[in-house]
Amino acid sequence: MDDCADISDEALLTQIAAGNRVAFSSLFGRYASKVKGYLIKLGARGAAAEDLAQDVMVSIWRRAASFDPAKAKASTWIYVVARNAWIDKLRRERVELAYRDTLIIDEASDEELPDDAVSRVQTEAQMAEALELLSEEQKQVVRLSFFEDRPHSEIAEHLSLPLGTVKSRLRLALIKLRAHWEQMK
Amino acid sequence: MSGQHHPSADILAAYASGVLEPGFGLVVAAHVDGCAQCRRQVASYEAISGDALCEIDDAAMGDDALSRVMSRLDGAAPEKLAMDRRPFAERLTLKPRKWVAPGVWVAAVETPHARTNRVYVLSVAPGMPTARHEHSGAEFCTVLKGAYRDELGLFRAGDFAATDHDVNHQPVVQGDEACVCLFATEGRLQPQGLLGRLAFAYADV
Repeated sequence: MDDCADISDEALLTQIAAGNRVAFSSLFGRYASKVKGYLIKLGARGAAAEDLAQDVMVSIWRRAASFDPAKAKASTWIYVVARNAWIDKLRRERVELAYRDTLIIDEASDEELPDDAVSRVQTEAQMAEALELLSEEQKQVVRLSFFEDRPHSEIAEHLSLPLGTVKSRLRLALIKLRAHWEQMK
Repeated sequence: MSGQHHPSADILAAYASGVLEPGFGLVVAAHVDGCAQCRRQVASYEAISGDALCEIDDAAMGDDALSRVMSRLDGAAPEKLAMDRRPFAERLTLKPRKWVAPGVWVAAVETPHARTNRVYVLSVAPGMPTARHEHSGAEFCTVLKGAYRDELGLFRAGDFAATDHDVNHQPVVQGDEACVCLFATEGRLQPQGLLGRLAFAYADV
């Protein structure tokens, strides 16, 4: 049921930009199931595909005023809105994952070094010297984490230690090293 | 800032299709933002995708979909959204800078990305050697400011570089201003030596 059957997609978008709901429902009839098909192709499933397709249609309404028929066809513009909605969805899902388990020093206690904090290049020899300040236990976790690049969970298993102990041991080791570097500046 | 080094057609097509990892897409966007040639190329890929959208198999919407969507539309006519016209580099949200050596800072970019990837800005002052490093995975880089030279050539503001795991390189900053680059790196960087590793651990990149 398209009340605007003889109107082009581009003209519909222009009318939508002016707040025309009849034009919007026609465009919905033409594109909503295509958008949903596209999202399913990208990997959206079941109710999530339906919800996201509805979100895309709402975005089309909200953004219609930025459509410029001189720059792009309606199908291109609608594709870009749908694609960006998919990318945004992936980003939202990634937020939780973005926090690394290798983050060692808490954000709150992690003071920024001032611009001129380090006035000379730290050499490997100085590093070795600094490492001597650490206890054997601290050296061991530093070595496993930074030489062997092992995840904290694996280090914990390897040393039969609770994960929290590995993290706090690393944190203390790095704080000690940093304090040593601060003295050298 | 339209440079000499551009993303490959494959990378631009992946970018236009929205299948690049978000952090990697951001680095491509940093280049495309200032490169008319690549913007045209992306636009043509998007047009092809738009045509494909019209050909795609329909997936029927729920019975009440239209009424649900209509009930969510704002009362008034939609307003034109303001474009953010600041330079790309200023639109990035950075975590605090971490100085990892004299004249060298890194700052993680606030952007959701896969746990195994790093997205960050690195600034290196002229005359500072950067840590020779290897990559354990793909790396994209767009120069935001200044210039550097490595085995692959001279890279200036706007230039894009993609490297993968078999590259072991040592970029050198050119000119008299700091070279600031946006990076997305898959997997951990492998700086050679403990210093590099600890520096990057500090910087959380």
